[in-house]
Amino acid sequence: MIRKTEEMKDRGGAGAAGTGGSKVRNPGWAGETGDFGHLTEADIRGTNYVGQRPKDGGHPGASCSMPYQLAEKNPEAPLFEGPYRERLEKILSRYPEKRAALLPTLAMAQEIRGYLSPETMEEVARVLDLSPAYVRGVATFYTMYNKRPVGTYLIQVCTNVCCNLCGADEVLKAFLRETGTELGEVSADGLFTVVEAECLGACGFPTVVQINERYYENVTPEDVPAILESIAGAAVEPTEAGRTGGGAGA
Amino acid sequence: MAYPYRHEKETRILSEYFGDPEARTLAGWRERGGYQALEKALGMDRDAVIEEVKNSGLRGRGGAGFPTGVKWSFMPKDDGKPHYLLVNSDESEPGAFKDRELIRWTPHQLIEGALIGAYAIRAQHVYIYMRGEFFEPAQIMARAIEEAYAAGLAGKNILGSGVDIDITLHLGAGAYICGEETALMNSLEGRRGQPRIKPPFPAAVGAFGMPTTINNVETLCSVPHIIKNGAEWYRSFGTEKSPGTKLFNVSGHVVRRGNYELPLGFNLKELIYDVCGGIRDGRKLKAVIPGGSSVPILHADEIDIPLDYESVAKAGSMLGTASVIVMHDGTCILKQVRRIVEFYAHESCGQCTPCREGTEWLARILRRIEAGAGTEEDLDLLLDVGKNMTGTTICVLSDSAAAPVASSIRKFREEYLAHIRHGKCTAAAAA
Repeated sequence: MIRKTEEMKDRGGAGAAGTGGSKVRNPGWAGETGDFGHLTEADIRGTNYVGQRPKDGGHPGASCSMPYQLAEKNPEAPLFEGPYRERLEKILSRYPEKRAALLPTLAMAQEIRGYLSPETMEEVARVLDLSPAYVRGVATFYTMYNKRPVGTYLIQVCTNVCCNLCGADEVLKAFLRETGTELGEVSADGLFTVVEAECLGACGFPTVVQINERYYENVTPEDVPAILESIAGAAVEPTEAGRTGGGAGA
Repeated sequence: MAYPYRHEKETRILSEYFGDPEARTLAGWRERGGYQALEKALGMDRDAVIEEVKNSGLRGRGGAGFPTGVKWSFMPKDDGKPHYLLVNSDESEPGAFKDRELIRWTPHQLIEGALIGAYAIRAQHVYIYMRGEFFEPAQIMARAIEEAYAAGLAGKNILGSGVDIDITLHLGAGAYICGEETALMNSLEGRRGQPRIKPPFPAAVGAFGMPTTINNVETLCSVPHIIKNGAEWYRSFGTEKSPGTKLFNVSGHVVRRGNYELPLGFNLKELIYDVCGGIRDGRKLKAVIPGGSSVPILHADEIDIPLDYESVAKAGSMLGTASVIVMHDGTCILKQVRRIVEFYAHESCGQCTPCREGTEWLARILRRIEAGAGTEEDLDLLLDVGKNMTGTTICVLSDSAAAPVASSIRKFREEYLAHIRHGKCTAAAAA
């Protein structure tokens, strides 16, 4: 099995395009016409242009633009310290009412901790002078806030009409099969949670799959093992070995 | 794929730089003529900018097609209150994938259009409300906003004009309904994304209780071109009542899915068979949804129509976001309609009873028929439930769920009956 470099892991397996192109047929950007040959993935995703966004949010006008579904999460981490405190202050400076900072602040809490426990929601309520019940009422309205812990990789498969016409049900089944999970549950190794998503707004590239902060486009069932390996290959290997060993012993 | 694939029939104005990574940067955008329109607008009287956009006939690209200049003219002039411009970048309508491309290839096109719009309506703050899933476009937009501030294009005294306009990017958190303008305002304010009763209209009482205008991404991206080249130039594209170009986002069973920029009034049949290369796998066309999942479905023999707001309405559907969903003859219409209805059931905000209950019941009845346990009376029941969901709620999500059900029963009744009689889909299998 090919070991992925740290860089490739960081980019969610995107680097596979250059080195292991055959492993991931389509890393989420190449068109079926093959006309993308002259563009690199960085060209299309704009990664060089974007660079690394700072934890303090950068310019206040752009401070609530950070992805809040990440592989790295720490449910015990403090919420409003250091650069995160700076970001909170920037967010607050952009609205005439404190309450308007609620969605960005919940997003930041999830970015840090991975999900929003009732205790986390209370902390957010305190810092924004809102009642915990109000915050919970808002948080539960929106699907992107995880009310329960999710796997390291949250895999959201669009099964809405445009993807559905092009075989999304089979892609969803492949993800469930390959991760050995039921819809919405965390896999035994803690790595994966697979959920069905509503339209992700990339209907020209079916089936669209969002894994944490990035989109995989034109995904077919055959692509699924390679995609999983590209995002969690290094992490999967020892676990698989451990599982096999454990199974034999039991 | 639309880019770099270009069809000779396209008229690329907004999408000219799709596939050109240099156009993304501020320097690259300026080299391509960017921000000249903003400079021109800042030298014009605010009302003259509104007048120019009014004369261009530009209509809102978010679905409703309301004239943009007229919308801007509803904003009060000297009320001394803060005004807001909200950019609706919540693109969530199944079938729509145009705004994501506009943002990730040409973020400065949107910023320029938003600044011109904000200047015209006397807004001091622009909020770009982007759906939460769009992390990649959001990062690009964040970078572009930082570039704009650093270059004095945003913030205090933009381009030395004495005008102050701030820009803030705001991410949603996964709720289709937040694309509805009053729900978007509630969501921006840190509330549940539930639509508000109108009136009052946003131009009177909008975000944070202040006069507000909400425009779609594509609408605002059109504005710099209108200001730069003039209303007459813009009117040289499209039709009398639907001027200009439009991004047609085509998905489903066509050979070349993608975004195609074409003048409004372009023929739907030509779009599918010529521009998009026809139907996949040598199959035949069965049905087309011309404007996103919420509009009535068209039968294969109803597609020889011009794609402009009036003509599609005349054909019994709506242009909506011009998100064309194409289905070939191997498609089970019932299954796809059921999936669409399940989407609306999931996304109903729960505020109005006909929608909250109706969407769920439609989904349940459709699942029953699909599972082979339906009766012929179920079709009347579906139509009856749908009728009670139409025009009875605060926003049109309810109507949107009912529309595909009613239109598909009207146009594909035999297929529904076959499901009921045989307990399974015969249409998809027979094709």
